[in-house]
This record gives sequence, structure tokens and C-alpha cells, in this order.
Amino acid sequence: MVWCPTLLAEGERGDEVREFLAVLTLVEAFCPWVGPASLGVCTLPARGPSRFFGGEAVLVEKLSVAVAEVLGTTEAVRVGVADGLFAALLAARAEVVVDPGGAAAFLAPWSTAVLRRPDLTVTLKRLGVHTLGQFAALGGREVSARFGSDAAACHRVARGEAGELAGLRDAGITRRLRVASGEVTEGPRQPGFFGGTSVADARAARSFARVQQRLGAEAVVVGRLRGGRGPAERARLVPWGSREVDPHADGAGAAPWPGRLPSPSPVAVLTAPVTTEVVDASARPVRVTGRGLLTADPARLSVGGGPWRDVVAFAGPWPVSERWWSTRRRQARLQVVVDGGAALLLTVERERWWMEASYD
Amino acid sequence: MFVSSPPGLASPPRGPSRPPAGQLPPHRRVLPPELVARARPVSSASARLLPLPAPLVPLFSDGALRRGATTLVTGGPGRGATTLALALLAAASTGSGWCGAVGLADPGVVAMVELGIDLRRVVFIPNPKAGWADAAAELLDGVDVVLVRPPGRARPTAARHLVARARERQVALVVLVDRAPEWPEGPDAALTVTAAEWHGIGRGHGHLRGRRAEVQVTGRRSAGRVITRTLWLPSGTGALAEAGVDGARPARVPATAPCPEPA
Repeated sequence: MVWCPTLLAEGERGDEVREFLAVLTLVEAFCPWVGPASLGVCTLPARGPSRFFGGEAVLVEKLSVAVAEVLGTTEAVRVGVADGLFAALLAARAEVVVDPGGAAAFLAPWSTAVLRRPDLTVTLKRLGVHTLGQFAALGGREVSARFGSDAAACHRVARGEAGELAGLRDAGITRRLRVASGEVTEGPRQPGFFGGTSVADARAARSFARVQQRLGAEAVVVGRLRGGRGPAERARLVPWGSREVDPHADGAGAAPWPGRLPSPSPVAVLTAPVTTEVVDASARPVRVTGRGLLTADPARLSVGGGPWRDVVAFAGPWPVSERWWSTRRRQARLQVVVDGGAALLLTVERERWWMEASYD
Repeated sequence: MFVSSPPGLASPPRGPSRPPAGQLPPHRRVLPPELVARARPVSSASARLLPLPAPLVPLFSDGALRRGATTLVTGGPGRGATTLALALLAAASTGSGWCGAVGLADPGVVAMVELGIDLRRVVFIPNPKAGWADAAAELLDGVDVVLVRPPGRARPTAARHLVARARERQVALVVLVDRAPEWPEGPDAALTVTAAEWHGIGRGHGHLRGRRAEVQVTGRRSAGRVITRTLWLPSGTGALAEAGVDGARPARVPATAPCPEPA
């Protein structure tokens, strides 16, 4: 078992998958039957290679040196040998070699928390069972009757009778690695108009998948419409290929939303609105009263601490009072044209102005 | 070594067994099918054109967006250059083509729908950061139209690479920049929004109803001719519309003026 603690979780750039692929290729030089269990964890049968290299300790030594060379640091790899996936994982983390048949004795001092069954661990602790050894000493039929089948599987693992435990293996790892290595370039599928995909669709999907590999899955997005009043509420950007179902999805925009901003809509909707200062002719901040009226005509504004620009025209405010039954939200929107001809959409909420979108 | 000769000269008449005129000579029938397939033009001229929304058709010499060509869209901030660039994608996206937009930081999805873009056919890479050129190059392999907004001035090598790749892959490349010098390569067509003015909004009344914009087109293929058109960019429905010379008002939208919600 080879355990690479730095590669256990995939980052947004996907470097971990590529490094893990390099590790797998290297370990395959020792033994052809290398199986990735999850990202950063791979298993290989120890008996054959250890005979070849002259003992398990030598094999472990050779493996860790070789993998550390690939990853560039000795701390990023741990190798261990034991019977069964679960014991081998712990042996790798502890960097020990457990003799055949010695799995139960090796597991005995470990806390029951390593089973990663928090509920079971708490219950066992209350019963005075703290270690896997104590857990293994319980009767198998009693454990099964009292805690159910999953705990019974844990019990068999603690006794060294079984090696596999649900949750240890990542079912999607093989496919993920094949996609990352370019062997399968099929990206996530987006159904076409009639559910089918053409050659052009597949080609487009492959190019999107390649960008996703390079920049992260969230870098490639598609727009979806949903119901709402403001431009930010009416649309969402979701990663390409995401199967997420939006409960507020509103395909054709058919549902009536009284108070919705009229067309044309702003062509740039800021994902993070920018604080804006709006003042009147005598440089006093402009506010919107509780009745939805401006305290004064806006004369100048400054977006995000930028230069002051004269307001040429404005329309509104259009107050919106939403969700008065739960998260009471009162805001008002103002369309503004500044000198130079740029049009902006401002929102005021709790006496603070934000630039929500611009009409470029 | 083979020496190819023009097809007319390749078959001198051979004795009395020459076939009558109008019928193919026998040796022409035995051409291997692979060779025939290879000799056939890869795509016809019309297949190299992508449709455009009707108001934009007069701006292009072909009346369409040509595959492999680069179109530069410029205009100062707030003049509607983004709207114009997105409108170039609209008809291509509805006509079963795929579109990609790189570097468009905050895409206004609703506005795109109003412009006529099919959202199922457009992907965005809003923040490619330093990888904008790589991302655009990848998209050029897979889609029909790529819209690129470089962050600031584009490096000449990156620009040249993208233009060459677009030509090679037969993809229409649309480049959106604030000022023309930010794109170092000479485009096939350059669209510039020279003037724009919002209509329908006053000091405290009305609402944004349309932007009347003057679009100037220069191009390599138009041989120095400069076309100037006045467009509603966008009109009251959010789509593009041609503005008549007499200054026709934008199409009125049905009364959907916002009103306060009963709270």
C-alpha cells in the first residue's frame, strides 16, 4: 500500500491527479497489479515483488525512495504492508510492515475512530469500548444484532477476518484517472436538443473538458435562467456538465414576476457588486426613503472608490420588498447614465449603494 | 515520381474507340474513391459562413460571419461594444453552432437571451486570468465561434497564434477590446462603436429603452471602404434593431414598467 497524504484531495488545478498518475506509473514498474483505491492511495500485492527484491522491508524502502523522488519530498509518501485494505491503509500511515496473519494484533491498539463511523465510535465509547482490540473481543453475533450490518463488517475488519470496508475505495477513481491521462477524453455530457449528441457536440465537449482540466471545473460555465426580479437573480452560472437541478429554474422566463426590471437587461452583471457612493448637487449622500423616494436627485457617483462621475440621467428608484415573511429584504434599484454615456444599474439596501450591473 | 498534368490534356484521343462527347472517358471511371474524396473541396463557400442577426447583415461584405476570419469589436466603455460582440454570436448559437466566450468577466445572461443567444450552446470562461490565450486556443478546437476579451493589451505572439489557429480550424474569432491597438494583429473586419446614446431615460423618469449607436466597419475585404450604420444596440426588447436614418424610436415594450411590490 502506497499512501500519499498530499494527494488525497483534488485541488482546483487538478495537479494532484496528474502527480498521482506519475506515482502509479512508477509503482507499476515494481509490480503490474497496481490498483488505485482512491486519490493518493494505491495498493499492490506485496508477496511477489518482496520475494523479488529480497524482503518486504526492502520493497517498502525502494518504493518510498522512488515515489519520494517523483513527488520531490519524502514527507509526501508513506508505504506499509498488511493483510487487507483497511489494515494496509493504517500500516502505510504508520509506515510499518505487518506480518501475514498479524493484522488483528496490529489493529488492536488503534482507536475505533479510525473506522470513520462517528456514530458507532461514540456509542462504543459510552459502552467503554475504546480500541479496535476491545471491539474485536465482542461477539460477532451480538455486534450484528445490536449495531447492524455495517458495524458487523467493521467488526470483521477489526478481527482481521476481512480487509474491505465500505467507504475506503473511491468508485470513480479509475475513470477520473483515465480522463486525466487523456485515455478517455469524453467530458461530462450535456444532452442536446432532442437528447442526442452529434459529432460537433462531442468535439465541443472535449474542448470544454480540456479547459476544465487546465483551469478547474468551475472555470467553464454555462448560463441558466431562473425566476427573479433583478438581473443577478434571474440568471445563474453553473459549471459545464453539472447535473445540478435548480428548483427555481425557469426555462423560458414564463412565470410572471411583477416588479421585474424591463428590457433591455444589463449585459454585464457583476458577480460581486461594488460599493458605490451617490451624492446630490451639494455633495450629501442620496438615500431612498421608506416610501421609496429619493431624498435628492443624484448628481455624482463614484464606483468602488473610483473617480467621481456626473450623473446625466437616472430613472427610478424602483423599490423591491421581498421575502417579508422570512428574511425581510428591502432594496431599491436605480438606472443611471453617467457622463460618457455609460449606463449602470445601482441597488440600494440598508442605506448603502451598490453597482449591480452595467449596460455595456 | 509523378508529374500531374491538367485534366484536359491527360487523355489524348486514342484511336477510333473514343467515347462520344458528353460521356465520360472510360479511364475517368476507375479513379479510386479515396482519391475522389480527397480531391473534392472540403467545404463549400456557403458552409464557411455563419449566420448573423438581420440588423448586422449589412455590416459584413459576405452578409455573414466567415469561418476562419477575425472580427475586431472596439468601442469605449459604456458604448455597447460588448453587446455588439455578443450579438455576433446570436444567430450562430441558434443555428446548432457552439460558441465560447473567454474573459467576459461578468456575463449578463438575461441580456444574452434577449439578444437571441441560445444559452445551451454558449460556454463562458469568465476568469481565465493568465491562461486566456490557452483557453481560447482550446476552444478553437471545439466550437464554431470564439469571443475573446483579452485582459489589457494582448501579446503579439499570443494574438498571432490565435488568429492562425482560427484560420486553420475554420472558426470565427471575435475579439473584443476597448481600443483597437490592444489587439496587435490586423483583423479581417473591424467594428467600432463610434457614438452611443441612451434613449428613454430622463432625470428621474422613464427607463432605459434603447441605445442608439453608430457602428463603423472597416475591413481588409472591403478595400478601404468604411461603412457606417446606426443601430439600436440594444433596442427596447433587448435585441438588436436597425435604426432608420430618420431616427425612428425604439420599439415600445409592453407595459412592464416596474412597480412596487405589495409588501
